[in-house]
Amino acid sequence: MTLLDVRDLSVRYEPKASRPLDAVQEVSFGIGPGEFVGLIGESGSGKTTLGTALLRLLQRPGRISGGSITFDGTDITDLPEDDLRALRWRDISTVFQSSMNSLNPVVRVEGQFRDAIEQHSSLRGEAVTRRIRELFEMVIIDPKFMTAFPHELSGGMRQRVNLALALALEPKFILLDEPTTGLDVVVQHSILENVRRLQAEQGFAVLFISHDIGTVLDLSDRILVMYAGRIVEDQSAGALLREPLHPYTKGLLGSYGDPRQETVKITYVPGRPPDLSLPMVGCSFAARCPERIDLCLEQDPPLVPLQGGRAACHVAVLQREEGGAGPHGEPKRGFEGPQFVKTADESRSALTNDVVLSVEGVGKVFERRRGFTVTRTEAVSDVSFDLRRGEVTALVGQSGSGKSTLARMITGVESPTSGRIVFHGPDGDQQVSGFRGRALRDYRSDVQMVFQDPYSSINPAKRLGYVLSRPLANYQGLKGAALRERVMELLERVALTPADRFVNRYGYELSGGQRQRVIIAKALAVEPRIIVADEPISSLDVSIRAEVLELLNDLVKENDVGILYITHDLLSARMLSDEVIVLNNGRVVEQGPTLDVIRAPKDDYTRTLLDAIPNPF
Amino acid sequence: MTYFARKFGFFLATLWAVVTLNFLIPRLQPGDPAEIMVKRLAGKDAALDPAQVKAMRAMLGAPDGSLWNQYVSYLGELVHGNFGLSYTYYPYKVTDVIAQAFWWTVVLVVVTQVVSFVVGIVLGAYAAWRRNSRLDSIVTLGSTFLGTLQPFWIGLLLLYVFGYSLGWFPTSGGYEESTPGFNWPFIQEAVSHSFLPALALLIVTPIGWILGMRNTMIMNLGEDYIRLAKAKGLRDRDVALRYAARNALLPSVTGFALALGGVLGGAILVETVFDYPGLGRLMGEAVQNKDYPLLQTLMLLTTAGVLVANLAADLLYGVLDPRARRAQA
Repeated sequence: MTLLDVRDLSVRYEPKASRPLDAVQEVSFGIGPGEFVGLIGESGSGKTTLGTALLRLLQRPGRISGGSITFDGTDITDLPEDDLRALRWRDISTVFQSSMNSLNPVVRVEGQFRDAIEQHSSLRGEAVTRRIRELFEMVIIDPKFMTAFPHELSGGMRQRVNLALALALEPKFILLDEPTTGLDVVVQHSILENVRRLQAEQGFAVLFISHDIGTVLDLSDRILVMYAGRIVEDQSAGALLREPLHPYTKGLLGSYGDPRQETVKITYVPGRPPDLSLPMVGCSFAARCPERIDLCLEQDPPLVPLQGGRAACHVAVLQREEGGAGPHGEPKRGFEGPQFVKTADESRSALTNDVVLSVEGVGKVFERRRGFTVTRTEAVSDVSFDLRRGEVTALVGQSGSGKSTLARMITGVESPTSGRIVFHGPDGDQQVSGFRGRALRDYRSDVQMVFQDPYSSINPAKRLGYVLSRPLANYQGLKGAALRERVMELLERVALTPADRFVNRYGYELSGGQRQRVIIAKALAVEPRIIVADEPISSLDVSIRAEVLELLNDLVKENDVGILYITHDLLSARMLSDEVIVLNNGRVVEQGPTLDVIRAPKDDYTRTLLDAIPNPF
Repeated sequence: MTYFARKFGFFLATLWAVVTLNFLIPRLQPGDPAEIMVKRLAGKDAALDPAQVKAMRAMLGAPDGSLWNQYVSYLGELVHGNFGLSYTYYPYKVTDVIAQAFWWTVVLVVVTQVVSFVVGIVLGAYAAWRRNSRLDSIVTLGSTFLGTLQPFWIGLLLLYVFGYSLGWFPTSGGYEESTPGFNWPFIQEAVSHSFLPALALLIVTPIGWILGMRNTMIMNLGEDYIRLAKAKGLRDRDVALRYAARNALLPSVTGFALALGGVLGGAILVETVFDYPGLGRLMGEAVQNKDYPLLQTLMLLTTAGVLVANLAADLLYGVLDPRARRAQA
């Protein structure tokens, strides 16, 4: 008996200004009582739209255009809002993606629990307060925060509060839509642990939407893989990891590597998902698929039962029919796409290059004056390291560990309160904090930043050609044909080819990975010696992270720049960096060649960070 | 509490700055007010008689002594509420002249502002909640059309139709034969005289509130906390009021407090059209007649009004939006 039964569900967006688009196409699946089901896919795959449709929260121009949703025996596809209300939150609740905005900013947290509880139960007054206190304890938050306003809570706490809120009426089903995206790995880990424990205790069913196959594999009983509005694979978590059926799943799995290996290999899925508003012939994944056969281009593969699960792939079906001995060969486990490889040998040689920047015993104390009291906060204390040409140093730590403050000092935005930062540039050794005026301007063209969010760091009103020409005109005084030529060169350099197809496009027309390439091209424009990359891949889909990592890695090798890679994620640090510095509360707790640190962590904090990495292997 | 204390401190500092500027600016202007007065009385080409100028100075109470002494005595006069005599209504004191006009304006403009605000907020919120409905289209299109009109022009139309053609309402002044005070005949007359000016203002002023409220609320409706409130299965009314409107109201409240501060400036054009005995008409007269004491006092009153309103807006915002308290404290 299934709790949630979805049959041939389709969702169509019909915006006034553009072509209609089927974001979800004939999706069928069921979730049993107490089952934990993961739903993965890259951005734009329709997973969030599907979730919104299940909650019956679609807004115009989106609507359910076909199929049915049955919850606990009731067909809720067209159920009027008044009847639906009885079901909402009492039976079906949710935790949304952006924890920052899902609480009403002007109402105390308690009030936002109270209205839901009083709406759906007979509890009133003190009984409600008791229930809220109980819920807070369930998610390990001190009940004194009940009377806080949402902005007074940290991101992690807010998401815990949202989780507690979802549990308020002991629902049968909870939809978790990327509940921990954007949070620190450590916080993320502890929240998901919490979810897992509560689910085991209370037995609610979960649909867990995420783009991160690692966490999904960690938590779920069963996994649905979504691509271009359809479910392309449905298997139990164990089977999916052992024997993925669809090449796209293989691609997603390939984006994980074991950081402890001497050589880490990760693959990525090239290209972009198809435009769903255009008619399509054949398999929607065919264009990006390494296992494609002619049939894939002609016929859309249906989702059929296979190996105890379901898959929508001609090749997978044929291979199993032939028993691995036919013309389509053995089933493959890996994704034979482009690869990014990092070996330990490369790191060893990189660590002997010339030093380009040395950080010597640097500390930073912030003073905050309020009336007559001065609060002193030590953001960074006594940090020392060298950054070399052609080498990547990773600064790893949670938010608040001082890594961004350190980056600001290195770029000359802030001055250290103790110690010094020395730049070994073309004009000899210079102290960074001493730069003023013209010297600072010159230094800024030697040190470039790449920011976290590629979606907001490109001017949306300008074409890429213009965006890239600004630093060239500003710092190198290029004009006319020479400028245009250099812009084209930069686009080629970051593999946005052919360049003349990209030069007149706008940032918002590109995928996240492509946008991050533009940002990197912008940083490269002034031929810097140092690039400070602040979480450059954390907002990107896993399947394209490798693409950006590879680009950065090539830059290091070919242009001899030094990269300071700032991240909270040790796994990606392993992929890119040769040396790693682990920061906790402004202090270096561990420092050394990346592989050594990951294989044999000496500090407890490093171990905590390592444990927090979802490890499906 | 520090938030409120700080805001009050800022208020006092700004008020002092305004008062000081009000003292300094006339003294930085070239020319002697007494000479100007004599010239005006004697004719442009007549020679200045020093005796006349001296007499005029004595009459106006023109200042002497060092700038500092003048400043101190100016502050002293302010504290005692002594603002000098009006030229236009000589020898009445400026304060008396203003006091007469004060209540006319305050009642007219405050009432219309409050009504406009309430009507505007309610209509705007409703239009946003039922976005793209027929009511929304009527409200939005109607507002955009009426918003291009000027209240004084509407005033002229109203005067023509209801004042002259139909004769339903008086066309000028504030009252006729009754004695001003708290008595029935006077209240009746005052209301009938104020009706048309109020209507002229009421047609236009809610429009800013309607459009502002509708836009912020539509923006807020896209927020996740609204989606979550719907997912919680709350009643529509609760979602609309406690979640959407409550948040969308914040910018409008500040705007409203500021608008109330402007009240003391009166509605110059509308008051002039209806010859309504309020501060706006008074200010128009003061400008025309170069009545410096009156003008200066009205300016001081207006700026003080805006400042008080600003303070009220800040304090209110602190109460309404918990985030503001911490961000600035």
